[in-house]
Amino acid sequence: MSIRSEPLLRVALPPRRAFSLALWLDREAVFSWVMMTLPMLFLAALVGYPLVYGILLSLQDRVVSKPGHFVGLRNFITDFHDPIFWRVAVNTFVYTIVATLLKMVGGLGLALAMNQHFRMKNLMRALLLLPFIVPTVLSTVAWMWMLDPAFSVVNRVLIGLGMRTPGPSWLGTPILAMFSIIMINTWRGLPFYGITLLAGLQTVPPELYEAATIDGASGWQRFRFVTLPLLKPIILIVTLFSVIFTFADFQLVYVLTHGGPQNATNLFATYAFDIGMGAGQLGLGASVALMMLPALALLIVALTLYMRRA
Amino acid sequence: MKSASRRDFLKIAVAGAAGAAWAPAAGRAASKSVTMLHETSFIPPFDEYFQKTLAPAYEKETGVGVVYELTSVGSSPTRISTIIETGSGADVTIIFLLYPFLYADKLMDVSDIAEEAGKQQGGWYDAAKEAAVIDGKWRAIPHSNIGQLMNWRTDWFAEVGVKTFPGTWEELYEVGKKLKAKDHPFGFELGHGFGDNHGWIYPLLWSYGGHEVEADGKTVVIDSDETAKALDFARKFFKDCMFDDVLGWTDPSNNKAWMAEQISCTNNAESILWFAKRNFPDIAKVTDQAQNPQGPKGRFHLLDCQSHAVFDFSPQKEEAHKFLRWLTAEKQLGAWYESGESYYQPFLHAYDNAPMWQVEPRNIPYRDAMATAHLPGWPAPPDRRLAEAVAKYVIVDMFAKACTGTATKDAIKSAETQLKGIYKTA
Repeated sequence: MSIRSEPLLRVALPPRRAFSLALWLDREAVFSWVMMTLPMLFLAALVGYPLVYGILLSLQDRVVSKPGHFVGLRNFITDFHDPIFWRVAVNTFVYTIVATLLKMVGGLGLALAMNQHFRMKNLMRALLLLPFIVPTVLSTVAWMWMLDPAFSVVNRVLIGLGMRTPGPSWLGTPILAMFSIIMINTWRGLPFYGITLLAGLQTVPPELYEAATIDGASGWQRFRFVTLPLLKPIILIVTLFSVIFTFADFQLVYVLTHGGPQNATNLFATYAFDIGMGAGQLGLGASVALMMLPALALLIVALTLYMRRA
Repeated sequence: MKSASRRDFLKIAVAGAAGAAWAPAAGRAASKSVTMLHETSFIPPFDEYFQKTLAPAYEKETGVGVVYELTSVGSSPTRISTIIETGSGADVTIIFLLYPFLYADKLMDVSDIAEEAGKQQGGWYDAAKEAAVIDGKWRAIPHSNIGQLMNWRTDWFAEVGVKTFPGTWEELYEVGKKLKAKDHPFGFELGHGFGDNHGWIYPLLWSYGGHEVEADGKTVVIDSDETAKALDFARKFFKDCMFDDVLGWTDPSNNKAWMAEQISCTNNAESILWFAKRNFPDIAKVTDQAQNPQGPKGRFHLLDCQSHAVFDFSPQKEEAHKFLRWLTAEKQLGAWYESGESYYQPFLHAYDNAPMWQVEPRNIPYRDAMATAHLPGWPAPPDRRLAEAVAKYVIVDMFAKACTGTATKDAIKSAETQLKGIYKTA
């Protein structure tokens, strides 16, 4: 029998197989796009569309129940001529900067304390989350009572310490009202910082502390040169989130003061709501709300660049 | 007995879920219904009467069901905007203050119902026309006013020798001075609430002859001697008679202060007495109600007209119109008012001496105040610009500034700048 080489040759050629969906999906370029499509559609529908719609609204003289006409930047020019708008802008910045700094410092302290070993540590950690878990509207109503001149625990303590009755009017004095909403926001936002930083602290290898201790580092030096550098990326991310949430805060102010007294606590979100819903001026309201965008965008870009460099 | 297997359970569950999903659709297809949006009433029997008596009665008479959709107090403007923007939702709605004017072109012309009701039920108060007639057509049927009047503590007023409520702002000031000295200050909201601040600030401004904008809807006239006089009065009224906290108050604050016996006089809806009667009977005994005091140019009140309107784009608008006509007939309306005691003050003269006013005679000033009630911003035409000025608290903040020490001239100037900005852009 002679050896037939022909079939062997055929075997050597790669077989032309039918198109296989499984294999096609296995290709990295395809798979990654398939995985990305759903979140991208999700983002486009729930974030992209409202954002684009908001921008379009802000360029129209659109009011509820009537079609709008394109007016270019007229709404923004109106905002710039509105003295209350500038008051609101200053309020929003003061509120965000002070509250975020307080939350950052307080949250770090809280995380460091919670990272120690003590009895009922887990229970304490769970309790810590309470202000964050309680719906804002409910906790704000509780604060409303606490800041009431007649029922205020704060004032009772102050009066007990010898202050004249009825104690300060927390929500009736512009500066104290701003101070109050900053405090409540800090109280509410602290657990978010605390728990996230606590998670970060637990990833710091104990060997580093041991090495630092052997080198003679003091408690402060261990914090300054070991803990802080390792926590920095987490602090930055939490701060980014916190700034965004605080900047766009609505519920707290809406329930507690509705922007009063005399706009001392009015923020972009509450002012935009009053114009858009109270007065039915959707275009003008959208232009006020959109003024949050440049400041937040700058911050996000700056922090992202900083983190990339680090 | 054989116990059901897991498979049986699944079958039953799936069948049940499918049935539940299908049933409402089938229900809708089988019978027509009209949906009416309302804010939860402060007087629970009022809502109950609608749900348990009026809605079933209409269904029995006509075969058309009525869905009474309740939304929380203060949320209806947002709900109405959403219904108008999306073109779907309730067919009939409660609507108040300036909103009928903002949405006029989406509301059905219901002049026929209004004219019929006026003829049959003693005629409308002028205030009803001010609140619902837009370019000669009724765009809503005024249901009732929720007046904002004076509530005062008879026992503390008696301590300073006052037995009847002072007739003028100046007289009230003199009483307030004495009461504050006795640690019974007044509490009139000067913050960013909605009703209780406008409820006394607009009447005070008007009673001194001040206005924001002329009836022509163009001329800003806030910078006047009359406004200055009203501000000067408010400043001393705040300093010598009032509780400091009022600057940060929202609408619930004065009710809370009243029940805590912190204040001796406030401006509020009737409900403050109703609530006290239910929960603080001792306070209710020494609470009385009175019309707002007079100023040099007369006596005024704020008009907060609660009306019912039909959305013009509703596929059920004819059904909704029929239902509103039925609801506005004396038989239905009279009994519904009764259920709300006199928290809802009717705009039809037929009810001026209705038995509901005898339930609590202390409420009668709320009826009498309707003759001198006007919408916020009166006499300027109620339109988008006016709504913007109100939403931006221009007038409230002008008064609050004056009360906290800003010179009258400066407080007026900043309000004028804001108003000119608003009226130029529209």
